[in-house]
Amino acid sequence: MAKTKQEKLDAKKEKEYYKTHKRQYKLTLGDIVFNVINYVFFIAFTITCIFPFYYLFINTISDNDLVRKGAINFIPQGIHLSNYTSMLQAGEISQAFLVSIGRTLLGTALMVLASAFVGYLVTKQEMWHRKLWYRFLVITMYFNAGIIPWYLNMSMLGLTNSFMAYIIPGIVAPYNIILVKTYIESIPADLEESAFMDGASYMTIFRKIIWPLSKPILATIAIFGAVGHWNSFTDSLILMQGAPEFYTLQHRLYNYLNQASNIQAIANSGQISETVASSLMNTKVIKYTVSMVTVIPILLVYPFMNRYFEKGIMLGAVKG
Amino acid sequence: MNNTKSGKERIADKIYYINRISILLSIVLMFFPAANPAKICGYINKNMSLLTSGLSYNRLVEDCGRAFRQGWIAESSFQLLFAASLIACLGILITIVCGCMSLGNVKMKKTGNLFGIVGAAVQLLGIVMIFAAYTQVAATTRPEKVEPALNVTGLLLFTVAAVVLLVSTIVIQVLLPKVGKDEKFEMQSKFKLFLMFLPFAALCFVFSYLPLYGWRYAFFDYKSGGTLSSDNFVGFKWFLQLFQNEATKTDIVRVLRNTLAMSGLGIITSWLPMAFAIFLSEIKSAKVKRFVQTFSTIPNFISWVLVYAIALAIFASDGFVSSILLNTGVVDKGVNFLMSTDHMWLKMWLWGTWKGLGWSAIIYISGIAGIDQQLYEAATVDGAGRFQKMWNITVPGLVPTFMVMLLMSVAGILSNGMDQYLVFETANNIEWLNVLDLYVYKLGIGNGMIPLSTVVGMSKSIISVILLFLANSISKLVRGESIV
Repeated sequence: MAKTKQEKLDAKKEKEYYKTHKRQYKLTLGDIVFNVINYVFFIAFTITCIFPFYYLFINTISDNDLVRKGAINFIPQGIHLSNYTSMLQAGEISQAFLVSIGRTLLGTALMVLASAFVGYLVTKQEMWHRKLWYRFLVITMYFNAGIIPWYLNMSMLGLTNSFMAYIIPGIVAPYNIILVKTYIESIPADLEESAFMDGASYMTIFRKIIWPLSKPILATIAIFGAVGHWNSFTDSLILMQGAPEFYTLQHRLYNYLNQASNIQAIANSGQISETVASSLMNTKVIKYTVSMVTVIPILLVYPFMNRYFEKGIMLGAVKG
Repeated sequence: MNNTKSGKERIADKIYYINRISILLSIVLMFFPAANPAKICGYINKNMSLLTSGLSYNRLVEDCGRAFRQGWIAESSFQLLFAASLIACLGILITIVCGCMSLGNVKMKKTGNLFGIVGAAVQLLGIVMIFAAYTQVAATTRPEKVEPALNVTGLLLFTVAAVVLLVSTIVIQVLLPKVGKDEKFEMQSKFKLFLMFLPFAALCFVFSYLPLYGWRYAFFDYKSGGTLSSDNFVGFKWFLQLFQNEATKTDIVRVLRNTLAMSGLGIITSWLPMAFAIFLSEIKSAKVKRFVQTFSTIPNFISWVLVYAIALAIFASDGFVSSILLNTGVVDKGVNFLMSTDHMWLKMWLWGTWKGLGWSAIIYISGIAGIDQQLYEAATVDGAGRFQKMWNITVPGLVPTFMVMLLMSVAGILSNGMDQYLVFETANNIEWLNVLDLYVYKLGIGNGMIPLSTVVGMSKSIISVILLFLANSISKLVRGESIV
């Protein structure tokens, strides 16, 4: 819309007013002190949040002798990547890495599919006893039987020492279903209705209309689901007691951090060539490198996650 | 669709209830080890359900190695047993189709009934084969080792379910009218939707409701690998032990002290994220703001194991702080700060705050963005200072969110999660770190005290639900809105 002359004039006046207005408010000494403290606090806090990752990283790529002496604190020296390559040659780590990647991809994919579909189904008023079934799902968010009954249940179902123990229990995620349901309810109903009039089945409507339109929320739950899968550690600890081949990366890392002997074992097992083991790798470097391997995937997806944060923290706003 | 039903059809509809219940019975029994008819000798794990024995041959024979080698049991009988279990499970699977199709129109019902008849027959075949495998095993040369025994209850239950299903399905099939030639498969959309939902409801039931059945362990004297029977039923013994056994009582008191202390610290400082957000909004430089907001949330996305790795990297005797102190000559030997057991609660709180502060602040940051800017302008015109505006505009705008968060954390006062304490725990600091969740884990999984740990976990769950309801009622009373 074109602005009239008068409006333009008003805008100009307003701008000028603010300019002079601003000038009137000189920063007082108190303001300056406040700002300095404020800036210093926030920047310092943020640095404590990222420095540890930087510190770990430079210690894994620097000369291992210097690392052992504790000489690498701020600046990397003697950069090399052999720690990472030998870490990947160690069977335990690469296997745990594959397990973690596998459960993250498969578990997240199935969870997202199921949440989308169930989220759609529970928006359908005509479903038989819809309210009852929806409550049946939602109520599980507020109680749990406890860790021991959970463990006994999993072992009764034959889900101990089995990769599927990571995947199947996570498929139906009530909180994510609520998020999707709320989102679908915000999509104009006309689209769906007109498709229904044209004789489209529920499946078709879901595939052609609901799925594409709810992608933003699906991306959100996918990212949070993936991070959850990647980070989960107690399920591996409790359920995989007899199957080290299904340990997740987090579990392996936990073991390495706790048992120095374990680390010696991996260095001495011949999985890492002896020269590497004796001269290059030491427990500190191994710990740091495994930590980095565990955290790098998170740091890689992190930039993409940022914009989904606000949707992800709807917890307070969502109702069952 | 024809809405007027004949009398026969109405009777058929009634019989369908019997039909569906028998299907459901078989399905449920399939999961219960106690009802596993395939448990035909002492070498079969007591905790194996029919489903497991039909799905995994390896698990079925995992304890049989010696018996096979010695020739006490022929491996072929176990293969037969495995096939039998698999066939029985398949039969049950087929009957599910019948149950689902019974919700459709007459044509669908009639087709579904065929599945029902076939499925029930297959299920019976499986049971007969299990019996055959049993007779083979019972003919063993060393019955005292093999302990052949028939799980009569399980076998009977499955047989009865299959026979009832078979008979009722045939009766229904007879009662239902003939299908017109041009009739199509049809089902009301309410049932269609329900059937699509059903598999997910089943998953939810199996993983969220079924564990509640494990609470029964609280009333038995159960040892890992044993069974539950009337012999070791002990009633409320374990509940009483919490109050009567001195050692347990001391443990519980200490654990509760730690739990409440840790949650209490969290609740007392639950205003911190709000303050974080408010002061962050005072930063005028957009770049700094974005920098802080982006990176202060990173720690929230790493696991507690990694937090511990970072703690080691920074505070262990070969870590960052020690290196700095060594290099500057303050100390002459690396100090492991993590070994000290002073102020453990405070340290745990600090780690938790480091990890969660930036993240928890996000909800308040978006809350501040939602506050009407005109309020601030008006206040400026009235001569309000920075802190006055914060206190009189921003804080009141955020208090509703804060109250929800506070109530939620009060409701979760007993749940600290166990990851953090598990990773930081050492023999020295466990006295201060043992919170309820960790205690239950160590007691049950570590020491195998399953009944006692179930009692503790169960009490915790129940109290937590009560607290949540209380918090919810308070919220309704004060704010007129519920939080769950």
